Amino acid sequence: MEKKRVVIVGGGAGGIILANSLNQKDFDVTILDKSDTQVFQPAFLYAAFMGKEVPTKKIPKLIKKGIKFKLDPVKKVDLTNKKVFTEGGEYAYDYIVVATGTMSDASTVSGLKEIDDKYGDYHTSIENAQRVWKNLNSFKGGTIVLGQASPICKCPPSPIEGVLLTEMLINRRKLKDRTKLVFFTPYPRAYSAEPINNVVEPIMKERGIQIMTFFDLDHIDANTLYSLEGDQIKFDLPIIIPPFKGAKIDYEPKTVLDDDRFIKTDKFNMRIQGFDDAFAIGDATNIPTSKAGVGAHLEAKIVANILQGKEDKFDGRTNCPFDLGYGKGTFVIGSYDQPVVPYPPSRLNHFEKMMMEKIYWSSLKGTFDFIFNLYFRHTDPIKLNKKFSK
Amino acid sequence: MSMEENKIFVDSRGSSCPGPIVDLAKAYRNSKVGDTIEIWATDKGIKNDVTAWAQKTGNQVLSIEDQPDKVVVIIKILKR
Repeated sequence: MEKKRVVIVGGGAGGIILANSLNQKDFDVTILDKSDTQVFQPAFLYAAFMGKEVPTKKIPKLIKKGIKFKLDPVKKVDLTNKKVFTEGGEYAYDYIVVATGTMSDASTVSGLKEIDDKYGDYHTSIENAQRVWKNLNSFKGGTIVLGQASPICKCPPSPIEGVLLTEMLINRRKLKDRTKLVFFTPYPRAYSAEPINNVVEPIMKERGIQIMTFFDLDHIDANTLYSLEGDQIKFDLPIIIPPFKGAKIDYEPKTVLDDDRFIKTDKFNMRIQGFDDAFAIGDATNIPTSKAGVGAHLEAKIVANILQGKEDKFDGRTNCPFDLGYGKGTFVIGSYDQPVVPYPPSRLNHFEKMMMEKIYWSSLKGTFDFIFNLYFRHTDPIKLNKKFSK
Repeated sequence: MSMEENKIFVDSRGSSCPGPIVDLAKAYRNSKVGDTIEIWATDKGIKNDVTAWAQKTGNQVLSIEDQPDKVVVIIKILKR
């Protein structure tokens, strides 16, 4: 039997895990990306608020022998004719998996581009995260405002993690009595999912963080944020998470993209709407779950199973580590049919988050699959909700 | 999400995190005065959230209907 050609667009966590999970006897696998380096993005948080290094690795070092990697930016995916057009040429496929992640687009909020250029952020690049760290260290007092500029945020816990780590830094720099910390969010509470909000909001309040809810950022002008709802916040130091959209790649047919360029994807089998031979995984999709590495990981495994003839179905599982500062953490754990667990904070949770950075690169090769499987079973949201939900 | 004759339909079934309120906020951002937004959600929290949201933003909840497998909410956008 001839090998099936699988083209994977994107060499992030999802794309690499999928490539490494496919049996090379039956599949000829090619990964295309515009960069040959993968950045461990969860470490942006620690670069911005603790001055730590962000680990990076070359993609060819992360993939198993036999998988092809091409440093060749993709311009167009023609799903109808089963072809991918790149700057360097074109690739025909039997199966395609789109794992292009999400990209920030500060230009959609008036005034934000200037703020982002000047003050940085902690979601888009190492340089931007380092700029936040520099600003926080030269800060002498005043109002720090932190929040997400649009309803879609990559890594939903990260806005609150950012403000809690800011508080820890300001406290350690003994600037607490000269600083007002304001957190804004478009939601009715600090964290969109209520059960975990009940865990984190009291901690934020206890640490003196002011929470502005229903603050959907409309524009920024003269050191003031203005919301769609008509409220304002004046600031001295802004830390603003830019809006996120799908990658700038054209599709045929265009109708597979939603208004924010995310790919309309079946939330159970990860197929791109209307196509049996095309899949999308990770942040690139429009499925109703968090944009986070865990989704990309689990969805890659689902697609690998489906391609290899095993029946499988994504259950919408989330498992997002949530740093609460001062060495404590929680997790956001839920699924399509289970509400988020009100998971109590602990030092162990924080330790587990830190461990993820240590094992991340090996996890892409599947080295720790048995540990992940055990972990996911142990933290099943049905079981946890029985224990922790009232 | 699709736009058709100023009616925005949002299928938020299965979203527990980040949750249907995120889809509502996203639809609100992409809406115009006069539009209606219809949201389907399995997370029952949407009922309280949508009421508080409408009060804050000055928009109108036309109906909240509990169905066996979902909650259907219809909103009219009066203010942007």
